[in-house]
Amino acid sequence: MRSIIALLTALCALAAPPAVRREGPFFRISGGSNETEVAVYVGEGDVPPVMGTFTKDGADLLFHPRYELEKTAASRVVVQGREFRFPAEMEALPRTTIVEKVYPSGPEIPANQLKFYIHFSAPMHPGEAWENLKLLDHKGKVVELAFIEIDQELWDREARRLTVLFDPGRIKRGVLPREEVGAALEPGATYTLVAQSNWRDARRVPIRADFRHTFKVVPEDRTPIDPNKWRITSPASGTREALVIDFGEPLDAALALRLITIPTTPGEAHLANAERQWRYTPAKPWPATRQTIQIDTSLEDLAGNKVGRPFDVDTFDRVTVRTNRGQVTLSFQPR
Amino acid sequence: MKNLGLNKWIACAALITGAAFAAPGAGMVAKKLELGAAGPLAFGPPGILFVGDSASASLVAIDTGDRAANKGAGTIELKGINTKMAAALGTTPDQISIQDLAVNPVSHNIYFSVSRGKTPVILKLDVAGKLTEVALDNIAHARVSLPDAPADVKDSRGNSKRMETITDLGFADGRVFIAGLSNEEFSSSLRSIPYPFQAAAKGASIEIFHGAHGRFETNAPVRTFTTYTVANKPHLLAAYTCTPLVTIPLSELQPGNKVKGKTIAELGNRNRPLDMIVYKKDGKDYILMANSSRGVMKLAANNLEKYDAITAPVADKQGVPYETLADLKGVQQLDAYDSKSAVMLMSDAGSMDLRTVTLP
Repeated sequence: MRSIIALLTALCALAAPPAVRREGPFFRISGGSNETEVAVYVGEGDVPPVMGTFTKDGADLLFHPRYELEKTAASRVVVQGREFRFPAEMEALPRTTIVEKVYPSGPEIPANQLKFYIHFSAPMHPGEAWENLKLLDHKGKVVELAFIEIDQELWDREARRLTVLFDPGRIKRGVLPREEVGAALEPGATYTLVAQSNWRDARRVPIRADFRHTFKVVPEDRTPIDPNKWRITSPASGTREALVIDFGEPLDAALALRLITIPTTPGEAHLANAERQWRYTPAKPWPATRQTIQIDTSLEDLAGNKVGRPFDVDTFDRVTVRTNRGQVTLSFQPR
Repeated sequence: MKNLGLNKWIACAALITGAAFAAPGAGMVAKKLELGAAGPLAFGPPGILFVGDSASASLVAIDTGDRAANKGAGTIELKGINTKMAAALGTTPDQISIQDLAVNPVSHNIYFSVSRGKTPVILKLDVAGKLTEVALDNIAHARVSLPDAPADVKDSRGNSKRMETITDLGFADGRVFIAGLSNEEFSSSLRSIPYPFQAAAKGASIEIFHGAHGRFETNAPVRTFTTYTVANKPHLLAAYTCTPLVTIPLSELQPGNKVKGKTIAELGNRNRPLDMIVYKKDGKDYILMANSSRGVMKLAANNLEKYDAITAPVADKQGVPYETLADLKGVQQLDAYDSKSAVMLMSDAGSMDLRTVTLP
């Protein structure tokens, strides 16, 4: 008798309709199905099942997706031809990301401007820059082919800063695009850089609003950086007053922060006055001894002119003697 | 770039003769592979897939173990491959980006580097049309840092935003060539790293100067490149963003060398090369170049050595003639598929479609 009851129980279990529960990152399939009878899907139509693995938990089968399912996507589990639907776990997220800053930040840039840095308040989704970043002329018309549209996009590791290079063909003298369609930026004219609000952050949520940065174009700058012309305002020794260097022109923001250093006196650098000024606050008070400022010669101004070398000088004939990198130094005596 | 006919045959010939290459996967250790990013792909010796990892400034060689010869699927017409990849990875199509594709020239399986959110994934589409993930948990691989990669130097506020993005990869003549672009200094680089990787071997960092452009030095980025035999010598054929097509003998691409490229064509304005391959048809060689604004361009590639170097600015197009295949629109990536066709990843109104196209 007992064995008959056991047999009946087993038969009932076999006949029990399958059931599916979502338990955190995995799905529990009860009802005695085997792996070949179960498939999990995200998306509709002719799509392959979600990649993942099965484990047994008693009579139940557990499906572990290879990657955690997207929380804003609905999913469905098909067991022996029956479909179980699961709604998205999460509604769309709020739009919180903004463009924090654009460098160069000043109201004027040279006609041979080389690049922009666009800083976002949160990590972005690479792959959408070229459809969302526009350069408009004063009439609001898009300037075609202004930037090098590298499909990998030049982000930093966190994907919070995008480097946008003007197409060198629109900057360099004597190259075809510039001969044909002129320079991207005409001196005297006003332009607006626009980051459109469709641009999505790493969560795939669009930025909060369009960002616009308007600037005026001044004549080309083809003069190398000359640190000897910088104005140094010395701080008082024994204090943590800022050392102030006025460049006399705006420099590339990222490079000015990284390539000007005072190795013997650690401290923190900031840029001010639209990247025309470098302010350095030491971690400890200035000593009374003479201080050396190191400047890497790959420092660039807005137009890519380096220390002692303009951007598009013809160095071909002298290339065997040119050194790639070097240091120049300045010194000052704290008061 | 991708593996090319040339590379494939060099690789195969060398393997058969046992001369130039160690066994595939030699010196590799099977362990977990942590990719910071999965960018450009290229096949090298049979079954070895190179992956550019910009986030960790390195090049990774993976032994896929995929060395069984197969004739290929014939014709592929796969609409919405991005939707299928997203579904298989448990997410929505807007969460994935296909970074590159490479055809294994032996098996004809197609490999993709894909970002799922910020997670890098390598997927394989086999000749039967099945999409699987290349599991990286325990895979034979070797990694080498990019020579002269930008040091992870922090500024005085502890920020390190500097990076070099790998824009293209290619394998030829026992070396991997890597084009990169800095996100701070305006500079591009071309490096070569011998394979198999040797711990102590330093790759070459190569400076290339154009003869054209009014003889101005150029740091313009190499947008895409391939290798090709010109006058019986292997050359790098590089397309720059500001229109020139340049040849450089591979033999000159040595560590520390400063190399002058020969500009053989100015392809005119609005030329934004994305990807290119070289192929043979009816005994003649051609270059197929995907272009962001012009569709696909086909250039006759026989006797490239006969073209004079372009050394002065030109009014429009000059040098190697080309025709535009205007019906091939939205081509994002391409690679040689078999002797008769190329495989193309094409974007059409948000959908990414994978198609084989008969070589024109």
